[in-house]
Amino acid sequence: MVVAEHLVSNLFYGALLGSVYGVATMGLSLIFGVLRIVNVGHGAFIMLGAFTAFWMFSLYSVIPILSIPIALIFGLALGLLIFYTTIRRLIDAPELSTLLATFAIGIFIEEVAKFVWGSDYVGFSWNIGTLYLGAITVPYTKLLAFVCSAAIAGLLYIWFTKTKLGTAIRAVVEDREGAMVCGINVGRIYSLSFAIGIGLTVLSGVLVTLFVPVGINVYMGPDYTLRAFVIAVLGGLGSPWGAFIAGFLFGLFENGSYTLLGLIPGVEPFALTRFVAFVFLLIILLIKPTGLLGGE
Amino acid sequence: MNIRAYKPLLPMIMVYGILITIGLTVEGMWQPVAYFMFYIALGQAFNIFLGLTGYVDFGYVAFLGLGAYGMGIAIQNFAHLGSISILIGIFLAIVMSVLLSLAVGAVALRLRGAYFAIATIGVNEGFRYLVEGVRLWGGTEGMILSGFMRKTFGRETTNLLSTFISDVLIILIGFCAAIVTISILNKKMGYALLALREDEDAAKVMGINVTKYKIMAFIASAGFAGLIGATAWTLKLTYIFPEDVFNIHYTVEAIVIVMLGGAGTLLGPMIGGLIYGLMKYYLSITFPGLQLLILAPILIAIVVAFPEGLVGYLRKKARDTRLSEYLR
Repeated sequence: MVVAEHLVSNLFYGALLGSVYGVATMGLSLIFGVLRIVNVGHGAFIMLGAFTAFWMFSLYSVIPILSIPIALIFGLALGLLIFYTTIRRLIDAPELSTLLATFAIGIFIEEVAKFVWGSDYVGFSWNIGTLYLGAITVPYTKLLAFVCSAAIAGLLYIWFTKTKLGTAIRAVVEDREGAMVCGINVGRIYSLSFAIGIGLTVLSGVLVTLFVPVGINVYMGPDYTLRAFVIAVLGGLGSPWGAFIAGFLFGLFENGSYTLLGLIPGVEPFALTRFVAFVFLLIILLIKPTGLLGGE
Repeated sequence: MNIRAYKPLLPMIMVYGILITIGLTVEGMWQPVAYFMFYIALGQAFNIFLGLTGYVDFGYVAFLGLGAYGMGIAIQNFAHLGSISILIGIFLAIVMSVLLSLAVGAVALRLRGAYFAIATIGVNEGFRYLVEGVRLWGGTEGMILSGFMRKTFGRETTNLLSTFISDVLIILIGFCAAIVTISILNKKMGYALLALREDEDAAKVMGINVTKYKIMAFIASAGFAGLIGATAWTLKLTYIFPEDVFNIHYTVEAIVIVMLGGAGTLLGPMIGGLIYGLMKYYLSITFPGLQLLILAPILIAIVVAFPEGLVGYLRKKARDTRLSEYLR
């Protein structure tokens, strides 16, 4: 009984965290979908978002929710800067070049961040009460993170389907040459999608701080990069919606399996959960590389 | 055997000769030289796969890690055999890394491009978390062998092993990897891999068994990686921790070295490894803690401006001259 209660509350928590994972992966999928570039330095941008929230809160006592637009604007600007200095020259380069370049960008951001914030773990505490629902106890901040993630994903969905620009981006994802023939300025779509992808990723860093308020560190990124890879492949690389749903599922899986593996004596549930996740990744890549939720 | 085709080994032997002479004659230079040799060997081994096939293996360090564990296991379990345990360790290191490469090759080499890169990251991280998760080979506590080795081999031999013999072995491994590289380049396999790198589908249509050559290059590269892990980590450092030996950082260093020198060339990894080693060594002395901050923009600049690497660039410049026979 205790186990069941524990599992239910952990799964609920996993669902909330999963929505944040979803938003944190949408940027990666969008960039891959449009530019066919895997951003190996993805986690560094999440870290920047986390530090944005931390700085805004500790220096100007701005609550994390209000940091979201700030992080988004910061991310958009950073995305444009990186696109026009590096990525633009690498669009048709072999995979090796883009993988290396994005990796180096990630390292560069981490090292600059270390220069600014040092390499210690920092954190902040933003407490607005806790919700009690039977076996489930959730701080309101985490519920708020869930609401924000869902809202952002929803807004993005509307923007992609209802506006002309969003449709143009989807057209480029479908068929680059075809979009060009239809008179879409593909170069502009590239820069815009890259900027939005980075913007979303930095923004998601703010949401992440609501779950790990004391785990903010300049080297927190790679951990999220690996998670994002698993989620992106699960949802079908290149599909932001798939990524959001897959993130949700991954959150459930992560917390569920952590709870269940913890029952086995003599193992480390945290490490083993990650192991199981990577085994899943390999199986999915083998049987359906377009992702469980992807088409084709 | 066509001797002319092996001419590019000449400049390589010269560089090795100079480095070894400096290391042996100048006081205090042996360890820095050994440090450069590690990077040269790493680049040379990785080049056999990354350079020749064009596939990016982001989980390459897993082979080094397994090699390190192979040596550790041999030293722990066959200590009563004395120094034979090191030979067993070398054998185990090769067997374990080759077995993993067969397993990974069967699964991941079906994938291409970004999917391959992500799958190999998955293999490396998955392996690390398996070791930590089920507490295999000591789990997160790792293997600490220094006390153990001192008991079996004696203090003198252990010191000699970690400060001299392991370095000599690394030099030999790097050189063997170079010889394997040039023999592949000179054989049918080299041309097959070149075709595969340019256009895999076209190569397939032309009747080249691309899978066979891909897997052969992968296994050779993994075997050398296992040897490097066994000697440069277990024998030299005398401890193994999963978060060190499965650290993706080493994969990236290997990629940087290969790219810097020129992927798919014989001399590239040596030049890349030497430059990278020199930069890292002296930057960490002059600007401690800032070496990555300086290396990252250099890497971006290389990728954007010199995608063919230093040796590739020189070969283009030296085309149709007598020098080109020595550059490969």
